[in-house]
Amino acid sequence: MVDQKKLRDEAKKIITREDVKYLVGWEKGTYGFQMTPLFVTSSDDVERLVFNPLCIHNLAVFPMLEEKLPLRKGAHEDTRKIGVVVKGCDSRAIVQIIQEKGLEKENLILIGVPCNGVIDPKKINKRFFHQTKTDDIEEDDKNFIIKTDGKTHKIPKDELIMDKCKTCEFPNPVIYDIFVGEKIKTSSKPDYKEINSFEKKKLDEKWSYWESQFEKCIRCYACRDVCPLCYCKECMVDQLNPQWVRRSVNVSENAAWNIMRAFHLAGRCIGCGECERVCPAGIPLTKLNKKLEKDVLELFEYKPGIKAEDKPLLSIFKPDDPEEFIL
Amino acid sequence: MDELIITKNKLKDVINKIKLDYTIFAPTNVDNIILYRQINDFSEISLDFCNSKVPPKSILFKQTETMFKFKPGVKAKIESIDIPNSKNVIFGIRPCDAKSLSILDNVFKDDYIDPYFVTKRENTVLIGLSCTQPDVNCFCTSLDGNPAGADDVDVLLTDIGDKYFIEINSKKGSELVKTMKDIFSNATTDDKKKKQEVEKKSKDNITRNMKTENIASKLDKIFEHDFWKNISLKCLGCGICTFQCPTCHCFDMQDETTLKDGARVRVWDTCMNPEYTIHASGHNPRPARMNRTRNRVYHKFNYYPKNYNVIACVGCGRCVNDCPVNIDIIDVINQAREVKT
Repeated sequence: MVDQKKLRDEAKKIITREDVKYLVGWEKGTYGFQMTPLFVTSSDDVERLVFNPLCIHNLAVFPMLEEKLPLRKGAHEDTRKIGVVVKGCDSRAIVQIIQEKGLEKENLILIGVPCNGVIDPKKINKRFFHQTKTDDIEEDDKNFIIKTDGKTHKIPKDELIMDKCKTCEFPNPVIYDIFVGEKIKTSSKPDYKEINSFEKKKLDEKWSYWESQFEKCIRCYACRDVCPLCYCKECMVDQLNPQWVRRSVNVSENAAWNIMRAFHLAGRCIGCGECERVCPAGIPLTKLNKKLEKDVLELFEYKPGIKAEDKPLLSIFKPDDPEEFIL
Repeated sequence: MDELIITKNKLKDVINKIKLDYTIFAPTNVDNIILYRQINDFSEISLDFCNSKVPPKSILFKQTETMFKFKPGVKAKIESIDIPNSKNVIFGIRPCDAKSLSILDNVFKDDYIDPYFVTKRENTVLIGLSCTQPDVNCFCTSLDGNPAGADDVDVLLTDIGDKYFIEINSKKGSELVKTMKDIFSNATTDDKKKKQEVEKKSKDNITRNMKTENIASKLDKIFEHDFWKNISLKCLGCGICTFQCPTCHCFDMQDETTLKDGARVRVWDTCMNPEYTIHASGHNPRPARMNRTRNRVYHKFNYYPKNYNVIACVGCGRCVNDCPVNIDIIDVINQAREVKT
C-alpha cells in the first residue's frame, strides 16, 4: 500500500512550485467503489488525493487532452509543467508518447506508485450490488480488505483483480521523478495463453466471433478517447474527405473502426486495458491489442514503452527484420 | 384504469399471441449486457435486469436510418424508402425509458413532424415492466418518475411474486389486451395491495437524489462560472453519456456513396464531439470540452425545460454508471445549485 500521507506531501511540494500548472491524481468518486481523476491545482486540493487498488484510470491521457485554444490578444501560452501520478502501465504510456515525441519529459513531473493490480469494476460491482458508499479499502499480500457499511470483507485478490494485472510485468513505473512506496518484485512473463488458443480456431469461427462483438459497438469512441496513445490531431474516423469509415453504424463499418484502431496501436499499445474497461458494449478489445502485442514481440523482439531514449518500433529498421508476411 | 393479473407461467402465451400480429422488441442478454432486440421466441427474453445498456429509444430513433437512396450523375435518380409501418411491441420497457419517449415526442412532433420517429411511435405498443431492483445510480424519483408507474406505457406489468399485476393505461393497451382475455383474470384488492407494496419497496431502494427544483433558473445565473471548467477538466470527450441517454436525440445527416450508388443516412450525433458544432470556416463556437460538457447539462436542465416545460432527464442513471471518469450528473446538478453567484 502506498502511504497516503507521503503521496500528499509529495503532491504538495509539486503543486506549490511556480513552474507547475496542475497535478493529476485520483480522489474518491461519487458512489460505490468509484475513484475519479482529480486535478490538483492548489495545495487545498491535496487532501483529497488518494491512491488505492481502485485507482484504475490511466492518467497519462490527460497531458494529451490538454486543449490548445486560440489565445486572446496579449495572452501567453501556459507552458508550465503538468504533474501526473503513474502506475507501471500508465508510465509505459508516458514513455511511449515521449518516444514518439508527443510529449517532452521536461514538461512533466511524474509521481510513481507501485501497483499490485487494480480491481476490476465489473467484478466488484457484481459482488456488491447497489453499493452506494465505501468506507475504506486496503490490501495485504493476497487479499483486499474492503470496509463497507461497518462490515469488513476479506476477498482474495485473484477474485477481484483485472485479468490484465494477473500477468503484469511492470508493477513499478518505468519512469518517474519521485517514487512513493516500496518497489514490488516480480517475475511475471508475458502470457499469451488465451491468444494462442484463440489463434487455433478456424478463420470463419474467429470472424463470426468478432462480428458478434463488433455488432454491439455504438461508436461512442470512448476506447479512443480514454487511450493515452490515441492522440492524433485528427482521428481517421473523424475525417470527412476522404471518409475512411462511414458514420453508418453496422457490422462492416464497426469492424473497420475497431480493426483500424487496433492496427494503429500495433507496437504502441502498452496494454493498460482502459479501452476495454470503458467500452459500454463490452467488446473484448484487449484481445485484439494483445494479439498484435504478441506478434510484435515474436517478430521483432520489441516491447513498447520501456525506455524513453529508445525509438518506437515503426521508426526503426534492422536488415534482418522478418518480412515473410509482406505480400 | 383496468387492472388484471396473469400467472407468470402464462407470460409465454402472451408473447406467442402478440407475435402473431406484432414485431416484438424485448430485453435480451447479449454476452452479459442487456440490449433490446427483435425476438421471435419467449426464450430469448431476459427479464432479470435493471436496465438495458442502450436505451430502447434506439428502436424508434435508430442509430442509423437510411432516408433515401440515389444514383449519382447528371440523371441522378432518387429512390425513396418507405417508412416501415409494421406494428411493434416494445416488451419490458422500464417506466423511465417510457417517459423518455414522451419527452422525445416534444421534439419529434414539434413544428416539423418527423415521419420516421412518429410513424414508428404510433405503431408501437409499450408493454412496460416495473423496476423492482433499482440500480445504485437510479434516480427517477428525483424527476417525478416512478419505478412502477404506468403513466407513459400502454400496459404495465409488475412482478408481485408468482404473478404479474397488469395496469392498462391507454386505448392501444386495452385493444391489445382485449385479444387475450382468456389469459388474464381480474385483479383482487389483495393483488393491488401487493403491487403497492412492490412500488413502495422499489421507491425506497432508490438511494440517490438529484435536487431539481428551479434548476433552470439557477443555471441561467451561472453560465459563465468557472464551475463548468472545473467539472469538465477530466472529461474525455467520448460519446457514452449521449449515446446511452434515453432523451438525447441529436443526429447528423450523411450522404454515403460508392461510385455506383449512394444513400442519405441519418445517424446519431453527439454534442461531446468537437465536430458537432464546427463551422465550414473552421471556427468552432464550442471550442473546448468545457463548452461541450456545459452544453449537455444546459440542454437537459435549462433549454429543454424552457422550450417544453419538462427536464430532459429521466434519472435512468446510465450516464452515471458508464462515464469512464465518473462525471456524475446527479453530483453536477447538486453542486451547481451550491455555486455562489
